Amino acid sequence: MSSIELVGLTKRFGDLIAVKDLDLMIEDKEFVAILGPSGCGKTTTMNMIAGIEHPTAGQVLFDGVEVQNVSARRRGVGFVFQNYAIFTHISVYKNLSFGLEVTGVPAGEIERRVADMAKLVRLTHRLEWRSSRLNVNELQRLALGRSAILGPQIFLLDEPLSNLDAAFRAEMRTELKHLQHQLQQTMVYVTHDQLEAMSMADHIAIMDLGVLQQFGTPLEVYNKPANLFVANFMGSPSMNLLPCRITDEGGEVVLDFGAGGRLMVEDESLLALCKKAARQDLVYGVRPENVTLRRGEKEGRGLSLGVNFVERIGARSIVHLGETDHEIKVLEGNQSPTKVGETLDAVAHAGASHLFDAQTGVAIR
Amino acid sequence: MGTEAAAAVEGKAKPRTLDQQRKRLGLYMTLPAQLLLLFIVAFPLVMQLYVSLTLWSPLDGEDWYYAYKSFTWFYNYIDLVTNERLWDAIGRTVLIMAVVVPVEFLIGFGLATLFVDSFPGKRIFYSILIMPMMIVPAVAGYMFFMIFQSNGPLNQLLGIDTVWLGSPNLAMIAVMVADIWQWTPLMFLILLAGILGVPEDQLKAATLLGASWGQKFVRIVLPRMKTVIVIALVIRAVESFKLFDLMFIMTKGGPGVATETISVWIFKLTFNDLDWSYVAAIGLSILIALSVFAIIGLTVMARASKRMNADVVD
Repeated sequence: MSSIELVGLTKRFGDLIAVKDLDLMIEDKEFVAILGPSGCGKTTTMNMIAGIEHPTAGQVLFDGVEVQNVSARRRGVGFVFQNYAIFTHISVYKNLSFGLEVTGVPAGEIERRVADMAKLVRLTHRLEWRSSRLNVNELQRLALGRSAILGPQIFLLDEPLSNLDAAFRAEMRTELKHLQHQLQQTMVYVTHDQLEAMSMADHIAIMDLGVLQQFGTPLEVYNKPANLFVANFMGSPSMNLLPCRITDEGGEVVLDFGAGGRLMVEDESLLALCKKAARQDLVYGVRPENVTLRRGEKEGRGLSLGVNFVERIGARSIVHLGETDHEIKVLEGNQSPTKVGETLDAVAHAGASHLFDAQTGVAIR
Repeated sequence: MGTEAAAAVEGKAKPRTLDQQRKRLGLYMTLPAQLLLLFIVAFPLVMQLYVSLTLWSPLDGEDWYYAYKSFTWFYNYIDLVTNERLWDAIGRTVLIMAVVVPVEFLIGFGLATLFVDSFPGKRIFYSILIMPMMIVPAVAGYMFFMIFQSNGPLNQLLGIDTVWLGSPNLAMIAVMVADIWQWTPLMFLILLAGILGVPEDQLKAATLLGASWGQKFVRIVLPRMKTVIVIALVIRAVESFKLFDLMFIMTKGGPGVATETISVWIFKLTFNDLDWSYVAAIGLSILIALSVFAIIGLTVMARASKRMNADVVD
């Protein structure tokens, strides 16, 4: 049993606010990813959970018990550093046994548990090596094993995969998830890689500039972004976001994209969103995979745009259309017949449109 | 055929490749410096060896190259080995080294650990701490000479009238205190650099694995600082062996010869007794002895570092 609750957590470094008033509830045995660009406060948040950093304000609770006054040494939190922080001056064995030795576990038990952990992280054949000799993939597994051997209920990982080569990263993703199931731990995982967050986490907390932007399941944050930042950050290629004005033309709701054209709103879900809009200035959003390109569509049914270029990335093709302030991307299949210079009508799928308040950036729901 | 042979001969005559030419150029360019170095190092050494085998003194009224007139083979060296004053001076020098180096190391290391984390006024304390090192040893010596006077500030402060510099044991202690005061900052600086070189992440990782401050120190900081510690100790050991300024100004080796270190004794022989052939013998002997120690020390260090960098550890 180990849930983590953050209440009004704030951290200042001089004038800089690294984390601002963060509330977050991480349930027992959950895998939560904290996702955000560099400098968004995700590592600081993690350090405060671990006790390496002291919050300026707010609380950290494990199982409902405040732990701000418990030293990092006694919190019993497993932590994997981005650069692994392996003790390179001693052997792999000594690295694994470090936590057990300093906490006074009897010698016989240390030997047994190190052997077990070495097997789990596949380092049995490396135990006698000086750890500085390991390659980066082995270092990663050693860092995991060194923390996991103490059986922490809470495991924090700070960008653990960012140093790995691409092939091993995919493998490690599966392995981490598997390890979490085996060890039955609450895991918090800091990353700037949305693919890692999407593929592993039960819930994703997206942060920017020290502020929590959205907390939800991977599909939630992908399908229902709470604001422009999340909409733009999640997904690759990212969501098409076009500034527009909402107008009423003889009972018909019309979105005016300026030079990008005009769109008669017929989609019922979008119509409902339009009615909720408090202001005229909006940002219209649609994911590239939710747009179809058509020829000879009726005026106002879609946006008529010129094709700038077609990126063929293997399984998919990304078609770029339009001019700077209303440029959109559309995902098409591998055999897309679209050619540069064509003028096509981009039509959003029903129910796939998003509207954001242009001023606050908040999604209209 | 003839032209070919001529070409071959010509080829043999100038076998120089570009690389060889460059090397030769390098030799020419550094030749003046090398000659100068030869003159500075080799010439005095040979001269010293020559003079040390004679009984020559500037009082003889002859130039040094006529020293062969009083050639005595190893008389100076034999006399030296049986001279108690030498062994006493060596004993005192080693005693000073054995006391001040460990004390300076412990205080310096202690201070260095305090300066790892930041605290208010750290910069000011830091500047104050390293200041003694910046003071000219002769000035520091004079300062302590004043402090330890019978009617000096120390006695006044303590309300006693101990004769510090006049009694053999207390004079030794006074000089040691002065040396510790002056050279602990160097130890502090070197060790602080070493401590700051220990990766912070590893210390954090150790904390999170449950290690206490002491455990982190013993298991991570100390092993990682091994080289720095050895360097700091060696530097100070060598320097304290050469201790002169403080001692000369504070006690002149006195009372009597009670605080005479090797350097002080050599100074007296040179400038009071003008017994230069004897001084040459002492200097050469010490050079040889120290070289032997240095070679042993370096070999031990090289072996240790080889063991440290070995791939497999036990």
